[in-house]
Amino acid sequence: MNGPATAMRQPGSNTPYDVAAVRADFPILARPVYGKRLAFLDSAASAQKPQAVIDAVQRVYGEEYANVHRGLYFLSERATNAFEDARETVARYIGAPHPHEVIFTRNATEAINLVAASWGRSNLSAGDEVLITELEHHANIVPWQLLAQERGIVLRVAPIADDGSFMADAFYRLIGPRTKLVSVAHVSNVLGTVLPVTDIIAAAHAAGAWVLIDGCQAIQHMTVDVRALDCDFYVFSGHKLYGPSGIGALWGREAILEAMPPYMGGGDMIERVSFDGTTFAGLPHKFEAGTPAIAQAIGLAAAIRYVEGLGTAAIAAHEAALLAYMADALASVPGLRLIGTAPGKVSVVSLSADFAHAFDIAAIVDREGVAVRSGHHCAQPLMARMGVEATVRASLGLYSDRQDVDQFVTALERVRRVLG
Amino acid sequence: MTTLARLGKFQHFVDDLAGLDDEMRFEYVLDMAKKHKDDPFSPGAMDDEHLMHGCMSRVWMLHDIDDDGRHWFRGHSDGAIVNGLVHMMTESFSGLTGEELAALTIDQVRRLNLGAMTTQRQVGMMAMLKHMQKLARQDRSGAR
Repeated sequence: MNGPATAMRQPGSNTPYDVAAVRADFPILARPVYGKRLAFLDSAASAQKPQAVIDAVQRVYGEEYANVHRGLYFLSERATNAFEDARETVARYIGAPHPHEVIFTRNATEAINLVAASWGRSNLSAGDEVLITELEHHANIVPWQLLAQERGIVLRVAPIADDGSFMADAFYRLIGPRTKLVSVAHVSNVLGTVLPVTDIIAAAHAAGAWVLIDGCQAIQHMTVDVRALDCDFYVFSGHKLYGPSGIGALWGREAILEAMPPYMGGGDMIERVSFDGTTFAGLPHKFEAGTPAIAQAIGLAAAIRYVEGLGTAAIAAHEAALLAYMADALASVPGLRLIGTAPGKVSVVSLSADFAHAFDIAAIVDREGVAVRSGHHCAQPLMARMGVEATVRASLGLYSDRQDVDQFVTALERVRRVLG
Repeated sequence: MTTLARLGKFQHFVDDLAGLDDEMRFEYVLDMAKKHKDDPFSPGAMDDEHLMHGCMSRVWMLHDIDDDGRHWFRGHSDGAIVNGLVHMMTESFSGLTGEELAALTIDQVRRLNLGAMTTQRQVGMMAMLKHMQKLARQDRSGAR
């Protein structure tokens, strides 16, 4: 039902990654900005969508839309099947043992809040510890702070090195008898640092703690297999994986999810309701109160099929080569400081400049058609750790190319000329 | 002197910007950024007490009131473009009485027509106006 992507490669193909063909699958990349070629370098905030995703969403509304799970008529049946197929696609993509372990959420933020509110409230008490790192996104800080205020749990924060690297000794020293949950990013959204999550998970489990991995910046850049990782929760946002906005996923181990109370009450999540009491539906519906994001979930599945068609290994290789190219190109611009240079980092470059504020840079390069992020990137504690108020972040996607990077470097030269 | 006359500097900015297209408005703002990039500002005033909230880059603002009850503002930002906008705002709305300042609305800011450039800039400038009004109110209520 979903047509093949034009840039689709055969699995195991030796054909070189054809970024020009990939770009042709993303109609928005062809639109000029201020009369200039668009160099979109903000995929870490939200990725652009391939035609396959746009078509899938349009097809839902144009051909097979109705509410899911309750209707006994043709369209509802079709929509329900497509929606549940999407869940199976997500499960397959992340190596989940069972599709019903995949809970659709609005995004990773909601997924973490779901775990904090449901699992956290029923499993954590005063003095219990949640361990995070200094490089977390606010979405993996604030829910635990709320729980600390409400329940008196203790939030432990592991330091990171000056170059943004994970500091193993310091981290593992903080895992103790009161550690109940380790909740860390798979990849830093500001620095691109890849955390050694397999080691972290093993260490946490050895101490009897569960592990939540925030995969927002990993899921689109590398193969994720929750069974191989052996984590307990994995969360991500669909819009960073080339899917629609408004859809994300929480994966959790079946036994843990089964034992967790519902997060929200409403339609779709109940088995039977009376004024004497309510019994809840089983997984995954227990956590999906109300009409879900139907078209968005189906669009996410189309995005996953698109990414699978290109091959995660081929995407990773393309992005790694381009990241190295970008780092070299930026090194030629005087006055720049790269924030976060951990070995093996992926997908993003954060920088500050001695000739302009991050916001000035973003505003001026925008006029040259270059879209980059500026600010604290929802990671203010990390900004403080790295000694900066704000950074400019250029982030790569599977459609990014050398011309994007060259255009950014040329635009930076203009910033130097104007404000330097 | 009427309020309108005292808003002469503001009207000058409005007139300047009115005839410009989007690209030229951006160049105008960049020129303001370059013009004021090295303007002196009291280093001691770049602290939390004088920091205003609502802008994407940091903005510090100083306020004074003269014997005629007119309010005067000076400001600075660590971002050059925002610094230029701060100067536009402080030059535009200095020299007004508390009542005149209080009567200003965000519609005044809209007249600069910078919202077409970026919404964030206009939101920041509205925040600046509100901050200036707050400083003036605090002064009148003796809460300095």
